[in-house]
Amino acid sequence: MGKASKRPRARPAAPATDSGQAWLVCLAAWVVPGAGHLWLGRVRQGVIFLVTLPLMFAIGFWLEGRIFPFEPSEPLVALASLADLGIGAVYLVARATGLGAGNVVATTYEYGNSFLIVAGLLNALVVIDAYDIALGRK
Amino acid sequence: MTSHFFLMALFSGFVSVVFAALMRDEPRDQLRFGAMLFAAFVGSGVVLSWLMYPFPL
Repeated sequence: MGKASKRPRARPAAPATDSGQAWLVCLAAWVVPGAGHLWLGRVRQGVIFLVTLPLMFAIGFWLEGRIFPFEPSEPLVALASLADLGIGAVYLVARATGLGAGNVVATTYEYGNSFLIVAGLLNALVVIDAYDIALGRK
Repeated sequence: MTSHFFLMALFSGFVSVVFAALMRDEPRDQLRFGAMLFAAFVGSGVVLSWLMYPFPL
């Protein structure tokens, strides 16, 4: 057992909300990274997520990464698409405006894909964390 | 902006910041955990890249 886990929690768990509100928190956290934590009063964490995750996604565009379409016939592409979707509204805006076409011959193409995919996956973790906080588990 | 090392360090920095904010509550703990993660990411990246030099895929 690690040293940190023996230490008492620095902050009391937030009062448990009902399941319906917890799902609303999840929706907010998915649409705007960090919004769930801001809603639950975890301002510092919320601001960190609000800044880092969209910035990471934007750097993915800058590095000429690709927003993958959902193609069930190509499982890896479909999984990458689901990962991209994790970032929420930014993904939807990018798809609607034609951003993220990707440039497969660019040196930084794979780096861009990594930034885009991992930003989405990290936001999925943030959504789960917000759900746990909303239910008073953290 | 095509430095592989810079992009790896940038990626590691982002991931470390998010994980530290998720997994630790206190700023001091977050800083320590984030720095440890960052060092582990960059260190393992450098070690793996050198291992690929004699053993290319």
